[in-house]
Amino acid sequence: MHMADALLSPSVAVAMYATSISAVGYAIHKIKEDELTEKRLPIMAVTGALVFAAQMINFTIPGTGSSGHIVGGILLAALIGGYPALLTIASVLIIQCLFFADGGLLALGCNIFNMGVLPCLVAYPLVFKPLRQKGKHLALATISATVLGLQLGAFSVVLETFASGITELPFSTFALLMQPIHLAIGIVEGVVTVAILRFVYQMRPEILASAGQRVAISSGISIKKIIVALTLITVLVSGGLSLYASKNPDGLEWAIARTTGTSELEAQGEIFSVSSALQESLAIFPDYELINANGKSIFQNISIPGIVGSIFACTLVGAAGILLAKIKKGKRTATNE
Amino acid sequence: MLKIEKLSVRYPDQTIGIDNVSLCAKEGESVALIGANGAGKTSLIMALVGVIPSNGNVFADNVKLNKDNLNEIRNKIGVVFQNPDDQLFMPTIYDNIAFGLRNMGMNELEINARIETCLSLLNIKHLRNKTALKISGGEKRMAALATVLVMEPSIMLFDEPTAFLDPKARRILLSVLNGLQHTKIIATHDLMFAAETCKRSVLLKDGSVFADGPSKELLYDVQLMDKCGVEAIGACGREIY
Amino acid sequence: MTDIRSKIEQIYSLEQLSAQNSCVHGLHPLAKICSTILYIVCILSFDRYAFFEILPYAFYPLLLIFLAKVPIGMIFKRVIIALPFCLFAGVSNVFLDTAPVMQFGEFSFTFGMLSLFTIVLRTLLCVSAVLILVAVTPFDELTEELRRMHLPNIFITLLEMTYRYIGVLAEEAATMFIGYRLRSRTGSGLEMKDMGSFIGQLLLRSFDRADRVYQAMKCRGYALRNFSHAQNNLDKHDWCFILLTGGIFLLLRWGASQYVAGRFF
Repeated sequence: MHMADALLSPSVAVAMYATSISAVGYAIHKIKEDELTEKRLPIMAVTGALVFAAQMINFTIPGTGSSGHIVGGILLAALIGGYPALLTIASVLIIQCLFFADGGLLALGCNIFNMGVLPCLVAYPLVFKPLRQKGKHLALATISATVLGLQLGAFSVVLETFASGITELPFSTFALLMQPIHLAIGIVEGVVTVAILRFVYQMRPEILASAGQRVAISSGISIKKIIVALTLITVLVSGGLSLYASKNPDGLEWAIARTTGTSELEAQGEIFSVSSALQESLAIFPDYELINANGKSIFQNISIPGIVGSIFACTLVGAAGILLAKIKKGKRTATNE
Repeated sequence: MLKIEKLSVRYPDQTIGIDNVSLCAKEGESVALIGANGAGKTSLIMALVGVIPSNGNVFADNVKLNKDNLNEIRNKIGVVFQNPDDQLFMPTIYDNIAFGLRNMGMNELEINARIETCLSLLNIKHLRNKTALKISGGEKRMAALATVLVMEPSIMLFDEPTAFLDPKARRILLSVLNGLQHTKIIATHDLMFAAETCKRSVLLKDGSVFADGPSKELLYDVQLMDKCGVEAIGACGREIY
Repeated sequence: MTDIRSKIEQIYSLEQLSAQNSCVHGLHPLAKICSTILYIVCILSFDRYAFFEILPYAFYPLLLIFLAKVPIGMIFKRVIIALPFCLFAGVSNVFLDTAPVMQFGEFSFTFGMLSLFTIVLRTLLCVSAVLILVAVTPFDELTEELRRMHLPNIFITLLEMTYRYIGVLAEEAATMFIGYRLRSRTGSGLEMKDMGSFIGQLLLRSFDRADRVYQAMKCRGYALRNFSHAQNNLDKHDWCFILLTGGIFLLLRWGASQYVAGRFF
């Protein structure tokens, strides 16, 4: 989710820098009041370095043949608190920007906001902490917070790119590409974060107690139920998005279909046919003929990208659920040995 | 001079770190602290600089350790940790050595001068701008030693100084330590190292002092060392293949 | 895990480059930082079709690479890694922006292609500028400069310590990963079911290490407070550098906009 300089305009960059600097400044102010901060500094540095190293470890996601890595915002926040986590993520992002060209220098403000402020100062206090303080299941709190953090972050990327106006990619297309993908990533990362937090809880419960969490882990609600609930929410949300999208059919197909109406394209017939052939070969549903010559979708309430996104997310969620069942089985046999 | 009177450490989970330890090290004296794993060597060292809470009295150059004068005590007592990576937490070696001096409020010119002297003394001028990741175990050990030496303490505590060292580096460390005039307490498993650096040894067992005497007697006493869970020098009659 | 180790090598190879000597290395870090930021701002201020207006800006990284003797291959390799996301965002321009700029027989060079090339060029130049900044300025000088600018000490210390421990943690992770792979089912990647205990174990070790580091810091008088640093003022070489490079960047920017205005009026 690291943004590069090339897609940003200076005004957006400056605005996001101002926002991030304020947030980081506020976080520093808040933790200075805490007398534990002096002791927390080495913990922040070392866990930050660990998150950096962990981001380099790709784990294989079963069923998809692809690999992923954690971002770590909610993990850090759960371990050391929201404000220290923001500072830690900010320092990791700065090092990634300087040494790995992972995210541009002017885009640092955006990146700190998207990957630091949103998970640590929004998702963590608004979702994770209240759920944990009510004694709710760790998995529910973690996965919800992680998903929310990543959704907000991805949406923020879309807004920042769109506001900069460098790319022609229409807003809703970009959003409909980014959101489902990051939903899937969020669920997977949430599951991994739960596993890590559980391990830490079992070995050293005092670590999370000091971050202001309730220590007891209730194993009452099964994770499968949580995943099912989240799946339903996913379908509803992406269905809702697709309703919106079809009212303003801004999809890539619609844009190309629209431009076929203009005369300029006659001069570039080759390019157009190549691109539309590419589109057809990539289309999962052979429903392109549902778009009539005027570029309007026949079924006004169904948007293909929205459904594809939901199905993709659901498949991944289902895979995650099966995987979690396997993890539980594995843990049970491990404790029996 | 270092004076310890009836020092005890009890951890939050009620395990005993050290139990009623008393000992006195004269100015310029080197004392080896010997004991099996878990005997209390590290606990004693950490208690002497007030890093972990303890009961009893500690006097460093006749200044009594208490909650309010920790910084003063830590300027008098320098600790070299077992793992040098734990002491080298700044990017460059120079920054690491300067860290303590900056915290003392010294100005940069003075800091620079002190560091130059220290680097020359330990023969590690070439490490000045290097990063700790790129240097060998022996060089790390020397750098970690420099970070403490530069603060000019009168008492030095060493926790397993030969850990992570190859034989050559070990020899270099040996000659460096023998050249220092400080009061030294050296906690170590390396009995030959203890015998070569310290005329006096204190044996710890289960957190308390088991024996205190000349190294050339204690460290070769097979029965005594056996009771402490440590092997005496030359004790293991292994066949050499 | 050669992957992790090679990434750590990337950090420290840049660090070693920055320890060398050249006229660029000798410049004040503030001069280099200001110059880099002004450079990026100027490039970003152009519109999406300004390929030819941005092209002259390539002089800056090329000049610095030459003067500072930075291996151009090293910079290029890292810049390539930064390209994919930009390409993804830029490629859609090709499909959506089909008005022609010029014709070459049957082939049309469109505005969409121009904007894609512009995005690639912007990426190349901006990323190079930052990498070169790091290649000619040691990290501790950068952080020292941030301290002089009165940024909060706690954050800068955090930055320095994180940087320091990345290598250590990565080594630990790499070694543990080798141990894992030697006894795993597939012998290759980390399986998701093991991620929890693997990372969890590394985390716990990190907490223990952090405890020891904290003790080491306290033993050397550490407390959360700011301390003053030696003033290091810009000398005439630094000012020359800032004014010269800044002047050229602004001239190119102003000149470009005049040219563009001139084209249409």
